[in-house]
Amino acid sequence: MNPSNPVYSISRLTKIYPGMNTTANDAVSFDVEQGEIFGLLGDNGAGKSTLVKQMANLLRPTSGVVKLHGQPVQEDPLLVPRYVGYMPQTGRALNSLTVSEALYFTSHLRGCSRADAKSERERLIQLWDLHEMRSKLCSRLSGGQQRLLQLAAAMAGQPPILTLDEPTNELAPQRRRHVWETLRAENRQRGTTIIFITHDAIEAEKIIQQVGIMHKGRLVAIGKPSTLKKQLEQQLRLELRFQPESPPDLPDGLPTQKLAEDHWLVRLDQHQVEATLSAIDLSRIDDFQLHSATLEDLYLHYT
Amino acid sequence: MHTRLPLPLHLQFWDLFLIELSNWRWGWRNLALTGTVLPMFGIILLGSFARELGAHALAFVLVGNLVMALLFEHMGKLISHFAYMKMAGSLDYFATLPIRKAVLILAASSAFFILFLPSLVVVLAGGAWILRLQLHLHPLALFVIPLCALPLAGIGALIGVSFRTPEEASAVGRLLTILMLTIGPVLIPPDRLPEWLVWLGFLSPATYAASALRQVLWGPFTARLLLDAAVLSACILISFWLVDRKMDWREG
Repeated sequence: MNPSNPVYSISRLTKIYPGMNTTANDAVSFDVEQGEIFGLLGDNGAGKSTLVKQMANLLRPTSGVVKLHGQPVQEDPLLVPRYVGYMPQTGRALNSLTVSEALYFTSHLRGCSRADAKSERERLIQLWDLHEMRSKLCSRLSGGQQRLLQLAAAMAGQPPILTLDEPTNELAPQRRRHVWETLRAENRQRGTTIIFITHDAIEAEKIIQQVGIMHKGRLVAIGKPSTLKKQLEQQLRLELRFQPESPPDLPDGLPTQKLAEDHWLVRLDQHQVEATLSAIDLSRIDDFQLHSATLEDLYLHYT
Repeated sequence: MHTRLPLPLHLQFWDLFLIELSNWRWGWRNLALTGTVLPMFGIILLGSFARELGAHALAFVLVGNLVMALLFEHMGKLISHFAYMKMAGSLDYFATLPIRKAVLILAASSAFFILFLPSLVVVLAGGAWILRLQLHLHPLALFVIPLCALPLAGIGALIGVSFRTPEEASAVGRLLTILMLTIGPVLIPPDRLPEWLVWLGFLSPATYAASALRQVLWGPFTARLLLDAAVLSACILISFWLVDRKMDWREG
């Protein structure tokens, strides 16, 4: 990774949709370096999809500029398509094609020769385990299968940058893991720059090198997860599982988040750990885990 | 950084043509049916009035209904197709591929035109039989018929992506279709129209399409065919230039 070589430079990007009073993106500025894995986190309606659609030149900014390799994306309609494979949150463009046709045509239209497009199709079918559905119409795929196809289509032709809008949505846990592992391998083997939106903060943490956290249209935090986590370093997570009819007694004043009837999350400063664990009657606890802050904590902290 | 060059335009066209054609591979029967029934009923209905006016008027009825079918089945379907693609986000897929917009419009138009051809043949042959008209089909028809369809395709794509919803785009398309059919000598001979309507017709591509079709279906060829071909070609160039340069696929 070359830290002085941004592929994307976003400067004071603001988007207000026509007829809306609220700002979907409010003066967002950041760079994405070449070969970086950049994760965008944020709650629903935070403006993440609006941001990546502007980066893909699919949405006109109200003000501000998006530069790809130093050139404003709106100046040349073929600039983004030459460098970026984009996976939308939803996609029906391929519905009339079979999986095999969709991957072939996308590869070929991205500039592969016919022979290369056929090889690329086979590589992607292998990579995403699409063998059983290769002759199936895209419109007949399940939600999860459609996500895999869209991922494969975004990667068709091996573009140097991937922009993915919630790539693991609707996927089963083992598929989600496979997505993150594949993206990490793609980044390592080809140096592909990967920008993605996700709500799957815990899984995504394994591959994210740079994280941006959005809240109400603003980029409220950006940096390496390890650097950002230093702000929360003093805090530890204590997760408690117990029988719902006999919840544990905790010392007064501890911030407790009830994740479920039988599952609590307590955020502790380091000096509180010993006293808290001593106060808990462990015979009433089925399971407890104490660990340092995760990307999800960062996300919750900022949003 | 390794990037690939965009495909040559003819290869872009062929891929996009096949993709567009696939949209209708299970729906072509419905398309053929609607593309045939509407103009055939038009021919039967208007033909019953025009019969006493002679072959000249009947030729206007047959060609007018062919143009009407082109407007409804070609321009109208392209309006719906592009408006739906915009609403469903399908245009995002094409907008993130290194392809020219005009090539996509041309491919979509060609796919619709191919699917419309069986209806066109049935309407032409069936209409001539019903109206007892003797066709003198000239080989130039193979050039003139696509020339009549393409300007409508460019206009259809522009309307389809220029309005917020498919409903708005369809409403504008229907209004334009009615205007194009009623101004100028498309369905009705010029001597039966008010003079101002004939003059207004010079503004409509449908007038030139109808005139060109009549000449290649019955003759005789006059200098008017050159004018018709020139205007239709100019319409194609302008509409595709507008689509390629001015049409913004990006959302507002």
